[in-house]
Amino acid sequence: MSTASLVLLLVLVGVLTYLYRYAMIGLFASRSLPGWLHALCRHIAPASFAALTASGLFVAGGEVVLAFDTPRPWAALVAVLVAWRTRSVLATIAAGMSALYLFKLLF
Amino acid sequence: MRNSPRLTEFLAGCRDESPLLLGVAPFGMIYGIAALAAGVPAWLAQLASAIVFAGAAQLVIVQMLAAGAGFMPIALTSGLLNLRHVLYSASMAEYVRHLPRRWRLLLAYVLTDEAYAVAVLRYQRRGPEPAAAQAGNPDEAPPSAASTACSASDAAIGARAPAEDLRHWYFLGAGFTLWAGWQLSTAVGLLFGATIPPEWELDFAVPLTFIALLTLLLRERAGQAAALAAGLGALVFAALPYKLGLVAAILLGLAAGAWTVHRLERA
Repeated sequence: MSTASLVLLLVLVGVLTYLYRYAMIGLFASRSLPGWLHALCRHIAPASFAALTASGLFVAGGEVVLAFDTPRPWAALVAVLVAWRTRSVLATIAAGMSALYLFKLLF
Repeated sequence: MRNSPRLTEFLAGCRDESPLLLGVAPFGMIYGIAALAAGVPAWLAQLASAIVFAGAAQLVIVQMLAAGAGFMPIALTSGLLNLRHVLYSASMAEYVRHLPRRWRLLLAYVLTDEAYAVAVLRYQRRGPEPAAAQAGNPDEAPPSAASTACSASDAAIGARAPAEDLRHWYFLGAGFTLWAGWQLSTAVGLLFGATIPPEWELDFAVPLTFIALLTLLLRERAGQAAALAAGLGALVFAALPYKLGLVAAILLGLAAGAWTVHRLERA
């Protein structure tokens, strides 16, 4: 992507995000949030992070690559276990990176 | 204007927000490093932290750029992800509705996940009195440019009400602290990012961050269904061009979440 398109993209996302934030305290300050939108918002974050994680780990160049002889999926598995046990973002990142370096030595 | 109650509220907001910077700073640094790795010029990566000012979306943007995604898929994905800010906006509406428009325009800019979390607690505490009523703080600075800019409207309010509601100053303090921390940690990431060799694979910290956030979010059935469907969808739709598969996967996840809610309600 060219720098010009990237600037446009970032401004677009920035303006959109600002409008979201201003929506209910400014644009529609006298109205309440419709129920369907409220329900939708609750599932956006889990759906987005799951799609991005799966895609980041198992999609390369538009193809599904289930390469279990590379370090990253295994390091990600360690990270999932640590995230589950500790519920700490920092511990998850630390464990995942450490596991990645360890598995790089092993593979 | 000595011992300005406005400044007291503002500083209380700064103080209560600052512990959260410990959690925010690593994100900012990871974002800065990943942005450079994705080929984003440093000046633009820093500017994005001011324009977008939403950590998760910025990480999503750089990860998708690194994967070669196109304009529309990135715009759609981050546009969807940030939709949750409408919820914060709705939740804050009752507290800031009475403020002049320029205040609401300003507060909307700092309405991030972390500033919302701190500010909403202040509003839910009883009474409009300052959080920390320590009169006569010796090292209290004179009101800054930010406070003089709004002094006209405040003088009008201050004239009639002795116990005026100044909690928006607290909100602003919390938001400003987060904003400053985010800009600073981005800059640190950009400075470091240029010196870190690619073999360290620090870009892997981005999916690790998503894993951590996902695990924290998966408390209820419908959310789990949404995540599972979206994760599988990302593989099923992998072949769609420009990474549009991610958008399709998220929409599939939202449908699965809504369907699960519907089914649980009937059961």
